[in-house]
Amino acid sequence: MSKAQNDVVALGARPIPTPERTRRSLLITAAGALIGLIIAGYALFTAKGTSTLSVPAEDVALVNQQPIARADYFTQLKATYQVDYSQATPEQRRKVLDDMIREELFVQRGKELDVAETDPDVRAAMVNSVEQMSASDVATRQPSEQTLLVYYTDHQDRYSTEGIITALDLVFPDSSHAERAAAALGSALGSGSPVATVISNFQGGNSGKLDGEEFYFAAKLHLGDTLFDSARKLPDGGVSKPVQQPDGVHLLYVVANKPPKLRSFDEARTAVLNDFRNDEIKRSTAQYQTFLTRRAGVQIAGDLQQ
Amino acid sequence: MTRLKRPLGLALAGAVILACGVHGLRTIRMESRLLRAAPDTIPANSVLFGFAAGHGASTFRSRCASCHGLSGKGDTTQGVPDLTDSDWLYGTGTVSDIEKVVYYGIRSHNPRGWHLAVMPAFAQPIPSPTEKIPPLTPPGIQAVTEYLLSRGGQPADRALAMEGAAIYASSGGCYDCHTADAKGDSAIGAPNLTDSIWLYGDGSRQAIYDSIAYGRQGICPAWTGRLSAEQMLEVSLYVYSLSHPAADRQQS
Repeated sequence: MSKAQNDVVALGARPIPTPERTRRSLLITAAGALIGLIIAGYALFTAKGTSTLSVPAEDVALVNQQPIARADYFTQLKATYQVDYSQATPEQRRKVLDDMIREELFVQRGKELDVAETDPDVRAAMVNSVEQMSASDVATRQPSEQTLLVYYTDHQDRYSTEGIITALDLVFPDSSHAERAAAALGSALGSGSPVATVISNFQGGNSGKLDGEEFYFAAKLHLGDTLFDSARKLPDGGVSKPVQQPDGVHLLYVVANKPPKLRSFDEARTAVLNDFRNDEIKRSTAQYQTFLTRRAGVQIAGDLQQ
Repeated sequence: MTRLKRPLGLALAGAVILACGVHGLRTIRMESRLLRAAPDTIPANSVLFGFAAGHGASTFRSRCASCHGLSGKGDTTQGVPDLTDSDWLYGTGTVSDIEKVVYYGIRSHNPRGWHLAVMPAFAQPIPSPTEKIPPLTPPGIQAVTEYLLSRGGQPADRALAMEGAAIYASSGGCYDCHTADAKGDSAIGAPNLTDSIWLYGDGSRQAIYDSIAYGRQGICPAWTGRLSAEQMLEVSLYVYSLSHPAADRQQS
């Protein structure tokens, strides 16, 4: 190359083509094209959803291009024969594979026949399956601690301990007996007299509805709303006002009362996370249903439109 | 020197492309070998295992570490199991058992996931939404707590523990999942209650009481459809490596 030619190249101008350069350019272009074709070819025959000529490594079979995953095959083999793939006999391997191919063939035929139209079990399974898929997406997302804390703050009523009450439900024949017993109960207990003695003096008895320490929900169930409400706010040793009931006049004597207490975020965290996820799943499922309804053409008969 | 620059550059570029190609082909070949191998036999193949566990580590960091921690040691305050010990809640800790959890999860809403066992909340009017189990009374929960403390070799009230044993084996229905000897059932993910490993809390009286009273139901997401088959196998092998150091693997 002369000095003049070198100067031209140095200034960035187009180099003068020579047979040697032309050959090199063609060679590089050809090599690039070949690499491109190899990559495209590989992608074409291995990408998901495309028709492949060979069974991908992660699958054990393709049935009308529908893969049977190797992991599922190994699981099925273990579930059927309680052996690992390496320990299974060729017959066992073949049997499991044949069963899985058979299942896939019948599922595909089921789709062709649209069995969901006729089989209520298939319909129910499909509804459940789509709901579960939507829920599964939500379950994968891990909320931040801040999100959980906000949720906990907004739903504190859910994260209290259950209240515990130990009480006696005393029944008297009429209100005069009950009122006198109520007055006597306080002073008698103060002086150490047994409850049983006091109530028997006023022809009263224990209804037996409560049995030692009980959670609030159980006490409410056993006593009924009215009696429970008159007992729940009483302190330890408190006696309720007489409550008229069909079977007589009741007095509630509270031995011990531990009202519900809010659990701290740390104590309740696992429950918070669980509730948060369940709410998200409900929300997501509702959104999914709205989306499906919007894109569907739903026509309702005139007589049912109201 | 100027004349040599261009051929050298081309040769260098060619070498880089070739190296990338070789690396890519090797990766594809290794992944293919990995996927075709029976999962439980892979740990015996140090080359394949090393390749997979190395790749699995990055997947673990991006997908699993947010709950299990970078070291995989979990967090008992949140009910996240330790993946580095030899105690397995689901299955027996084989690669295929771990892979099943990675694929389909636990209570993940994937129909193939593990979701049979849910610890009921016995201090609720309806302890389990699916099973007909009656609630327990506060003394009943205390008694079962004492029984479990005694089974774990901790100091416990003997009379209450006997009462708790009766509830455990009858109205509480605990035996149904945790088995009659309280050693759990890894086929459904019911933990062993007689050892010193606790999924929730530290095994203290209060922690056990809370588990019985408020219930437990942690989840592990299903990664099928979100990770590729090779990624799921690789991360399973990485998790396996956490509890099986190289020396143990060679021995086995």
